[in-house]
Amino acid sequence: MLDELERARFERLVLPHMDAAFSLARWLTRDAAQAQDAVQEAYLRAFRFFGTFRGEDARPWILGVVRNACYRLLERERAEPAAQFDEQAHGEEAVAPGTVVRFPLDPEAAAIARAERELVQRYLRALPPEYREALVLRELHGCSYREIAQIADIPLGTVMSRLARGRRLLQRALAAGLEERGTGT
Amino acid sequence: MSCKETTRLLDAYVDGELDLAAGLHLEEHLQSCAHCGASLARLKALRTSLRRGVELETAPDGLRSRLRARFSAPARGPGLSRGWGLALAAPGIAALALALWLGFAVPEARVVYHITSSATASTALRNLANHLQAAPKVKIVVVAHNDGVDFLLRGARDASGEAFEPAVRRFLERGVEFRVCNNTLERRGINASRVIPAAALVPSGIAEIGRLQSQEGYSYMRL
Repeated sequence: MLDELERARFERLVLPHMDAAFSLARWLTRDAAQAQDAVQEAYLRAFRFFGTFRGEDARPWILGVVRNACYRLLERERAEPAAQFDEQAHGEEAVAPGTVVRFPLDPEAAAIARAERELVQRYLRALPPEYREALVLRELHGCSYREIAQIADIPLGTVMSRLARGRRLLQRALAAGLEERGTGT
Repeated sequence: MSCKETTRLLDAYVDGELDLAAGLHLEEHLQSCAHCGASLARLKALRTSLRRGVELETAPDGLRSRLRARFSAPARGPGLSRGWGLALAAPGIAALALALWLGFAVPEARVVYHITSSATASTALRNLANHLQAAPKVKIVVVAHNDGVDFLLRGARDASGEAFEPAVRRFLERGVEFRVCNNTLERRGINASRVIPAAALVPSGIAEIGRLQSQEGYSYMRL
């Protein structure tokens, strides 16, 4: 049984990363409810294995646990697909994961910014998971290459090539998408 | 440095992950090569779009409070600490741990009642009372939609002639929330001022139910 000191240490080092954990889970599972399940499961597991964690910066560590929980959950899901997959709800989420759009004064610029933002989110969601996770960890969580390598359990060189490849894919999709909407240059 | 080499290292350069010497070589090449300079500009633009497109999200309240209840210091109920001991006693069995977890979540379960017909409103309120009695900590939101909005209009009475409003107010005091679908009001030409003050308006009843389920962890009950 973990003693009180360990629990207090967990509370101080791991609990504050809940938003980062949820955001990562959201992008990996692409579903808010599943993201919650994954984070819950990850925290349970993290608490159980907290004894193996050394150091003060627990963020990469807990993000790694969350990442694995997400893939386990998706794996289980594939094995037994949910009975009521709601295309509508999932499709809607692709565009607006509950974030606030700030409107610049120029309505046209605002429309372009919004369109671009939606496209970025849509194409990022559509990327294969290995590129998506590298990009999200880099751009959203601001992780270093070394941290990404730790979280995704891959060599440093692979981090570099996945980020580069992911960005090229996204760039191509975005260029095509913006053109299609008539908001490109 | 060649264009090929530059292309290979450009991402690491933009990410500030290139060592100083390689960085200097790359900058030297960029100054003399318009092609690679344009690649750099595109890459930087993509990063700006990406950072605008993905933002850190706040963990939903339900998840936050569950995790806090689990791992924060304040005194916990007897059920919780007992359950925790059980979870620890079964290492490696994630499914069991999860089941226990779900068990704990029961005191703060969230349920959305969907009322779509005025005929079932009385039954729904009776179920509501029973539900609260059996699970006093349950959080219930009632979403009224289609003909189900009628009992939340001023002066509405049940089949035996009793007014709904006082009952609704009593539920409100116990933490139950009532939400009325504005689409329904518009479609049926009902002025929003006819809705009793105890009930709130939401743009779409269906969207509200979807939101409660997908984002706030509510389970759904149709009445």
